[in-house]
Amino acid sequence: MDRRTFLAALGATAAATQLPLQAAAEPVQGSGRITLLHTNDTHSRIEPFGPGNGAISGLGGVTRRATLIKQLRQQLGSVLLLDAGDTFQGTPYFNRYKGRLDYQLMRMMGYDAGTLGNHDFDNGVGPLVEALEAMEQLQHANAPFALLNCNYDFKGAPALAKRVRPYQVKTFPGLRVGLTGVGVAFAGLVSDKNHEGITWRDPYESLKPVVKHLREVEKVDLVVLLSHLGYNLNGTAPDDLRLPGAVAGIDAIIGGHSHTFLEAPTKVPQAQGETLVFQVGFGGVNLGRMDFAVAKGTVRAASGSALPVLA
Amino acid sequence: MNLKPFSLLLPALLGLSLAAQTPVPPAKGVVLPVNAAIPEDPEIQKVIAPLAAEIKATFDLPLVKAPQGLFRGRRGEENLLGYWVADAMRLAAQGAINAPVRFAITNAGGLRSNLRAGQLKVADIFELMPFENELVVVELTGAELIQVVSEGIARRGGEPCSGIIARVEGSPEKGILTVTWADGSLIDPKATVKVATSDYLYGGGDSIPTLKTGRKPFTTGITLRQLLLDQCGVLGKANQDLLPPAPGRYSIPVPIQEAIRDKKFKF
Repeated sequence: MDRRTFLAALGATAAATQLPLQAAAEPVQGSGRITLLHTNDTHSRIEPFGPGNGAISGLGGVTRRATLIKQLRQQLGSVLLLDAGDTFQGTPYFNRYKGRLDYQLMRMMGYDAGTLGNHDFDNGVGPLVEALEAMEQLQHANAPFALLNCNYDFKGAPALAKRVRPYQVKTFPGLRVGLTGVGVAFAGLVSDKNHEGITWRDPYESLKPVVKHLREVEKVDLVVLLSHLGYNLNGTAPDDLRLPGAVAGIDAIIGGHSHTFLEAPTKVPQAQGETLVFQVGFGGVNLGRMDFAVAKGTVRAASGSALPVLA
Repeated sequence: MNLKPFSLLLPALLGLSLAAQTPVPPAKGVVLPVNAAIPEDPEIQKVIAPLAAEIKATFDLPLVKAPQGLFRGRRGEENLLGYWVADAMRLAAQGAINAPVRFAITNAGGLRSNLRAGQLKVADIFELMPFENELVVVELTGAELIQVVSEGIARRGGEPCSGIIARVEGSPEKGILTVTWADGSLIDPKATVKVATSDYLYGGGDSIPTLKTGRKPFTTGITLRQLLLDQCGVLGKANQDLLPPAPGRYSIPVPIQEAIRDKKFKF
């Protein structure tokens, strides 16, 4: 146990001594449970898919997604609600409301963080910033959510740079979760004028220092990556399946871009244990759920990383 | 659990884990379908209802009848929907620059849905063309135009176009391309030709590199969606049906089509 964790535990003990009834609820630092709920490529699908859409007919819709999220939050307590990008484009709602509605609804549903997909640039950087401003200005009890990306260089786009963080740390009873994001290359997907001032960098190389920082400086117990690279690109470009082999120390990849319907996370071995790679189709048809129990000490040492489990 | 504070701290101090005392279940995650069994959230529903009504009021407006529908075509079939879009682009470009535009090309990947047979509504055109891509007119030489056609064939078996006829012969190892104007007349490789396309393709999207070399770009300010809506509106007002253009713009033998799909084809 490092000194910081010790002090935190000691602080909890001291407080608990004064309030003995709360003692049982005070957790040991580095031991806890967290549920990740996630979507990807929701593509302005506010309403459920109509008939004539094959297997996904009648599925999706934000009013139902909101209910499901509320129910799970009530049941589970420690929950992170995350999205892997491409919130924009796909229905008249996007054409009319330019993404402002999509981001506002995400805030109302209680999203904690998202990342940028290629389609989020479809109207250019200006309208993307405006949609984020509209989300921030919404009067709502939920806090605005963060956009996370560590492989786009936003130097030439200061208004967006202000709104996108390379990583974020969320603290829960007993554990700290590090979140970061990566995006797909613009070439052939986003026209030059729509990503003006923003440069793509190799996601593997961009991630390495961020994961190291989260692990070693922020001392997080769990590292979660929001990826808009795509599930499997057969070696033609960086993807979620090959990422753990290139960047160790990520516990979960919440993927998007390829609209891949996975029935369960794919376990990918990596130098510090294994990474769960998940993606749940598109259009808000599904909500993904991954449960992690993190336990410091023997279990953690044995795997070299946090141990993922289903509650 | 009713532990005293110190007993909580002790295992942590000793480097022991609570989870080590209770077995950790195996790693797993699940997919939760968002289906009709889940009730609607009233707070979100209240926000969406008036916006949905607004969308419906605009997008349910009738445009034109398309008794046969217009379809992108299955494997081996021509993209007649794409031909209609390219024709509409060429027509709108001529209006925008007030000069002949002999060739138009768009990308099949940008056409996001078919137009099913029946009465078309505004929403159908938005689904077909959700992007805000803009009509652009550039200048190419005749030789470059032929190169553009050949790049579209090599990549995707021919991107939807207007104004020309392209025929591929030979073998998958060595294809021979012939491109003529739609009336069968020869294209002068040295002539300067006005070409209509989208800002997306002109900007290098979908890998038709020669299109990017187009000169004197004229950005019309008209989105592809708007020109399609306009085209439907004109037909609808005149009480005419929207019919698919005739096939025959690309003729590519099946073995060559397959080689293109397998990325094994060469001119």
